[in-house]
Amino acid sequence: MTELATMEFHPQPQAGESRPWAFPAPERGTQDNGLTVLRCHRPGQQVVAVEVLLDAPLEAEPAGFDGVATIMARAFSEGTDKHSAEDFAAELERCGATLDAHADHPGVRLSLEVPASRLAKALALLADALRAPAFADSEVERLVRNRLDEIPHELASPSRRAAKELSKELFPASARMSRPRQGTEETVAKIDSAAVRTFYEKHVRPATATAVVVGDLTGIDLDALLGDTLGAWTGSLAQPRPVPPVTADDTGRVVIVDRPGAVQTQLLIGRVGADRHDRVWPAQVLGTYCLGGTLTSRLDRVLREEKGYTYGVRAFGQVLRSAPDGTGAAMLAISGSVDTPNTGPALLDLWTVLRTLAAEGLTDEERDVAVQNLVGVAPLKYETAAAVASTLADQVEQHLPDDYQATLYRQLAATGTVEATAAAVSAFPVNRLVTVLVGDAAQIKEPVETLGIGEVTVVAAE
Amino acid sequence: MPMGHTATAQAGSGGLTATEHRLANGLRVVLSEDRLTPVAAVCLWYDVGSRHEVKGRTGLAHLFEHLMFQGSAQVKGNGHFELVQGAGGSLNGTTSFERTNYFETMPTHQLELALWLEADRMGSLLAALDDESMENQRDVVKNERRQRYDNVPYGTAFEKLTALAYPQGHPYHHTPIGSMADLDAATLEDARAFFRTYYAPNNAVLSVVGDIDPDQTLAWIEKYFGSIPGHDGKAAPRDGSLPDVIGEQLREVVEEEVPARALMAAYRLPHDGTRACDAADLALTVLGGGESSRLYNRLVRRDRTAVAAGFGLLRLAGAPSLGWLDVKTSGDVEVPVIEAAIDEELARFAEEGPTAEEMERAQAQLEREWLDRLGTVAGRADELCRYAVLFGDPQLALTAVQRVLEVTAEEVQEVAKARLRPDNRAVLVYEPVSLEAAKHTEDADPPEDPEAEATVEATDENEEAAK
Repeated sequence: MTELATMEFHPQPQAGESRPWAFPAPERGTQDNGLTVLRCHRPGQQVVAVEVLLDAPLEAEPAGFDGVATIMARAFSEGTDKHSAEDFAAELERCGATLDAHADHPGVRLSLEVPASRLAKALALLADALRAPAFADSEVERLVRNRLDEIPHELASPSRRAAKELSKELFPASARMSRPRQGTEETVAKIDSAAVRTFYEKHVRPATATAVVVGDLTGIDLDALLGDTLGAWTGSLAQPRPVPPVTADDTGRVVIVDRPGAVQTQLLIGRVGADRHDRVWPAQVLGTYCLGGTLTSRLDRVLREEKGYTYGVRAFGQVLRSAPDGTGAAMLAISGSVDTPNTGPALLDLWTVLRTLAAEGLTDEERDVAVQNLVGVAPLKYETAAAVASTLADQVEQHLPDDYQATLYRQLAATGTVEATAAAVSAFPVNRLVTVLVGDAAQIKEPVETLGIGEVTVVAAE
Repeated sequence: MPMGHTATAQAGSGGLTATEHRLANGLRVVLSEDRLTPVAAVCLWYDVGSRHEVKGRTGLAHLFEHLMFQGSAQVKGNGHFELVQGAGGSLNGTTSFERTNYFETMPTHQLELALWLEADRMGSLLAALDDESMENQRDVVKNERRQRYDNVPYGTAFEKLTALAYPQGHPYHHTPIGSMADLDAATLEDARAFFRTYYAPNNAVLSVVGDIDPDQTLAWIEKYFGSIPGHDGKAAPRDGSLPDVIGEQLREVVEEEVPARALMAAYRLPHDGTRACDAADLALTVLGGGESSRLYNRLVRRDRTAVAAGFGLLRLAGAPSLGWLDVKTSGDVEVPVIEAAIDEELARFAEEGPTAEEMERAQAQLEREWLDRLGTVAGRADELCRYAVLFGDPQLALTAVQRVLEVTAEEVQEVAKARLRPDNRAVLVYEPVSLEAAKHTEDADPPEDPEAEATVEATDENEEAAK
């Protein structure tokens, strides 16, 4: 039964003439202390974003001290030679600023956001944190305890638990990448202020750091500002650290992390593949989007919009670590949650989608829509200063040229259906995927075993 | 002493302006031109949310929101998503207690498409709505509920606290996601009736913000929306007013398989749109917003009894707002230890009020949050709709930050004294149990009603749910 509408209908309108937009080109310079600075004026963006990259990657953590980079990153905002921990937090918030810091495989990253009118004061605080962090015994001890308290919360989160298991499965046990980024109970418990200071002295210096400043810089003398703040930070010269290659075992297999009684199964299906240095990257981005970029992509068209097994399943590629010589890698993965009784059928459909893609390829129409979306959303995606700063910082962290993103948009537009298909199929080969399922093993193990997607093992949740 | 201050001469509004229009069918339109970036945001707020739902049909407003993406007279199946994304746009829809919103951000030259799409479903959804999409989206929404609430630790805390804070039968007693039983019970005819009742041009506000030609935009809006008939099918929502204070401490202890003890609470606070609500926002920020707040300093830094401690504000216009406390305990610390410290801090704050420096910090934080929200065309479009729908005047969005900056320390102290009291809160205590015990508890005590903001496509954002 349908209902006749009484409105007057018009044909679908045609697009108007597009206004040109390009990913902003930053201006690059170096301070006297060796600090690299990228700046970018974005009119109207009253909240300025500052990103600082430190060449202190997780693989530089001393053996047995996983998590020391994380504790150091957090300790930057816990007091300096001028302010106690409480005062430092108060001063930052008085500027209306937020400061986040986290440690990841490529290095430590600090992200400051502050209204342009208070940039000077916030930059001074940021510079103090980098130049003269207090690393007081009691504050580090508190951060360590706090971190230990966080671990059970992470293990209880299905998506985080899945990520932890996938890293453990994919990478050799000797590789830092196989272990949790922020450390385990055993390693974190050993960290003290001396360990943090040693790590800081060894790996943090302006000569191997980069600052990215983006926002409405009208009326701001950024050179003078930087000279008084980050430019006054001193440290010895050093070469950037060599980046070790990434290796992974993607033999097709299934690991079930048992959560008895779970009403859904968290899926994380992944392997390691090309990063942005590889020529295949644009085609891989395109193919991955067609596979699982949105709810009209192939996976959700079946799993969500036809079957209703899930709220959404996504395929994505996320750079783990890149090297100047191109030996870096990205995590290529499919993730989502499906209800427990439909776990087997959902995985069967997922594999059928992958097999069909390999057998029949993408259509030109899919490729066109994907390009139009990926290229077309750029001006929306990069409206804020924070989004631009983050991508510029990613480029630096991944040893890419400053015009990488701008070039990528041109390459995406020039990538054809055949290339996108080939890239998607080699990114997600049906027999080279490691599947982690966080769910009720008693209910899902048997149905998953019958699928033939690899040997199934069950591990306890904790 | 007034503590207001501004970061910039044009703080918050950034010199922004908006114009208002009304079509003959009652559709209200707000336009705001900003040519800096070649993008335009379209935002459509329907004045219907979970508060309009009736007993036995919780979750219907949100389930219906999903159906709005399943096609209309001229748009096939998933065409709405496909066309917007294929045009280089982004889109979503969300449902909260008080409204349902739909939004597209488009490259400027595709603005007309977004207007055409929104008009098509406003005027002709029922031409496409069928059993197949109803059954499919029912399953999708049930999986949304499982993913966001049922399958995560503390996931149902918000709906439990809401159910405590608003009495049985109150329109805000249940949250937008709805209960599994009610989602199962909803029929296609319910969905049709819902559309006929609430989806009318005179029950909506449309805002368009960004790189637009206002005259051309208005002409397109008239062309696409102008012929959709308005109607007065909608009954007023049930009255959400309640006494200023609860009058007793409501309490529920949840024994579940969670990683740590937790203390959560909801305080009954002034309605959104009032100066007292802004004062409450500042009070909560001083007490529990960020890492220089009183509760963070006391519980996390000094006593070291908590992993995290913070306050959030859920602003509501049709019922008292909720001040949202969330503390996760450290190690083996017992809840009463935390509770005593919180009560001590709240009592001291009510006694002394904020210091001048605390006011400055809290106002600076809220000001930055406003700059963030108004810094994108989509954020601005949403705020313009919010003020138009809930308070009848979109211009209020552009001056909201000034109002926060005008609040005095005395007003902050006054609202804290009147509202942040033990007899004005609902408390939820989590006690972790082993798996065996948890199963037993479930059998003995089936889960209660439903919860927060729900959305058509998974995103990281969860704007309505208090942090």
